[in-house]
Amino acid sequence: MDMRTDKINAEERERAFVSLRKPEVVEKQKLHVRYHVEDYDAEDRPRAFLKAFAAILKHSSYRMALDHFIRMSAKCSRCATTCQVYQATGDLKDIPCFRSELLLSVYRRHFTMGGLLRGRALGTGHLTDDKIQEMAESFWNCTACRRCSMECPSGIDHGLIAHLGRYILSEIGIAPRALVVSTREQLEGKSGNTSAIPVPALIDTLEFLEEDMLEEKNVAIKFPMDVEGANYVFFPAVSDFLMEAETLMGIAAVFAATGDSWTTGTGYFDGINYGLFYSDRILERVVKKIDAETRRLKGKQVLIGECGHASRSAKYFLPTYCGGKDAFPVINIMEYTYEVWKEGRLVLDPTIVTQKVAYHDPCNIARQRWIIDQPRELLRAFCPNYVEMTPMGENNICCGGGGGTVSIDEIRPYRTTIGGKLKADQIRKSGCEILVAPCANCKKQLRELVEDQKIDCEVVGLHDLIYKAIVFDDSLKVKEEQPQEVAEEE
Amino acid sequence: MEALLDFARGPLFRLSFAVMALGLLRILIFDLYGAIEAYRRAGDKTMPWNLVMRRSAQWLLPINRAFKNRPAYSLISILFHIGLLLVPIFLFAHIQLWHKVIGISWLSLPKVVADYLTILTIICAVALLIGRVFNHSSSFLSRKQDYLWPLLLSMPFATGYICANVGVSPSVYQLSMMAHVLSGEIAFILIPFTKIAHCVLMPFSQLISTLAWKFPPGTDEDVATTMNKKGAPV
Ligand code: SF4
Ligand code: SF4
Repeated sequence: MDMRTDKINAEERERAFVSLRKPEVVEKQKLHVRYHVEDYDAEDRPRAFLKAFAAILKHSSYRMALDHFIRMSAKCSRCATTCQVYQATGDLKDIPCFRSELLLSVYRRHFTMGGLLRGRALGTGHLTDDKIQEMAESFWNCTACRRCSMECPSGIDHGLIAHLGRYILSEIGIAPRALVVSTREQLEGKSGNTSAIPVPALIDTLEFLEEDMLEEKNVAIKFPMDVEGANYVFFPAVSDFLMEAETLMGIAAVFAATGDSWTTGTGYFDGINYGLFYSDRILERVVKKIDAETRRLKGKQVLIGECGHASRSAKYFLPTYCGGKDAFPVINIMEYTYEVWKEGRLVLDPTIVTQKVAYHDPCNIARQRWIIDQPRELLRAFCPNYVEMTPMGENNICCGGGGGTVSIDEIRPYRTTIGGKLKADQIRKSGCEILVAPCANCKKQLRELVEDQKIDCEVVGLHDLIYKAIVFDDSLKVKEEQPQEVAEEE
Repeated sequence: MEALLDFARGPLFRLSFAVMALGLLRILIFDLYGAIEAYRRAGDKTMPWNLVMRRSAQWLLPINRAFKNRPAYSLISILFHIGLLLVPIFLFAHIQLWHKVIGISWLSLPKVVADYLTILTIICAVALLIGRVFNHSSSFLSRKQDYLWPLLLSMPFATGYICANVGVSPSVYQLSMMAHVLSGEIAFILIPFTKIAHCVLMPFSQLISTLAWKFPPGTDEDVATTMNKKGAPV
């Protein structure tokens, strides 16, 4: 059975939809959305929208899906039962099918023969500014978790439609500023990554972590840089370098234990791809950077860190944009760790992490049944107090910050009162003290969620725990431990 | 009346049936052509066939998934579809007609079964309609046609039942037969142009949704060129 949640009350609603934008800017941009948008031309928006829509249809394959969807939609509202946004707001406009209909109706009216004829005959149904306004709001209320698509008998993928809707909007300048600014830095900035980390700072950070690890584990755990011909070229969500030291140390520790070759490239080291959230054009350009860096380093495989959308955008779109079958294979760090553990090359101590631990499935790696069991098996192996949250796996409830919404700080109240409400209930119900969320986006969202919803629970990555529990072979120890000598001296 | 009925059952039937068959064929061809084109352009041609098949089967034979949410609605809808498919195709009287026209026949449903199924289908249609009116999320989404379909589709069933079972005067019989034939024909003609087209498209839904994420490479350049944005900053 699916989970249900109480509807938000009036006060929560007010908090969730608070707008932090200055009224003058809203007035100037003629756009009442909650997120900041770059300045752009607000004149004749409908025409621009249709032009962008047409250009995208011409060069993509969306038409096939749209044609199919407009014929299939049964309006049965089954999808309403699984959308965590609708469950929380109870607002009929948040029913996934209604959200999609915003765009499908534009398609029907302006891009199908029937719609054009009917429109001409009746002179109605033109795309208006209001409708664009509604789309700009609605498509960013959706976390693109695609949970609803699992529930639609007609097979309509609302995640895809919201994705396309955002793509078209972004082409006419309507996209959250937070995402655009980061992407700009990544594609055109000096640092070349979304967190604007300069290479010297990166090297400093990693050296610092290496020292820490030496002290804590008595093992020389390295972050190899620019190693040519390594097996794995590593791309974490770049924000991990600033915020998820423990996760990174866990990953490095696993490689230290196995001795496999891996490397971070100083040319490009960012797994984040906001293109997946707002523009296929950006998606393509960012994916190509990963390909280029792996090529430069003569690496064999692309290794993505703990990040859902980074993993999905690399795994599913490297073959798309960089050579199909011949593209670099992509694996997620959890797959690697699971494999080496299976092979017996990784030893984990089951007495270290004794708290109640639960696992959160990031939508981007679980919805298509890519990675579901591996992390669970690992956790069960060394966390004696592992508990399961239901629904899980491909039916998992989204953290509430999916589809890039977590990066838009000005909608945090929305995310933690509406987007993540169902998730909060689920966490509370599981009673877990540690929630493992192997995704940079999920981690950020869930931390804000437990904070705002006052749940006593720590959110960590899988490798944070592995770092704690990992047991190194004695041969790796830097200094022999000499208990007897110490005893003798005394 | 007799002549009219003959006309309705003869040329008119053939016409409406042809509109339906050709209309559905056209849609199906477009749909599959679109899918093949998309596959051809896709940069990544690997398809998760297992997942696609599994998810398609899930909805074509909704045994498990359908009942997790809205179980009553699912049950009614499934029964409705069963009646909708079985009765017209496997009714003895219809098979006889086909036999007369094209010379082939097939197994028919026993009359009692057909009768009960007919009644069940009508009840389900009414229940679906009521469900749509009173479930506020469905009624919010619904268009006019969504309400009309259960009514239109139960017409041939109700009138057919009267013709087959109720002892009515010949003129009433003829009238209901006329209504039976005409309502069936209206439905036939509308099928390809409305959401009922799902009767042929349904098996491909999961395929289309999956394929839709297989983008063609080079969209960046192409879209930028068309939009006059080539080389423009992000
Ligand atoms: S489940 Fe599918 S067909 Fe039903 S209302 Fe939602 S999108 Fe439409
Ligand atoms: S993708 Fe997720 S958030 Fe968006 S409509 Fe579907 S269930 Fe709701």
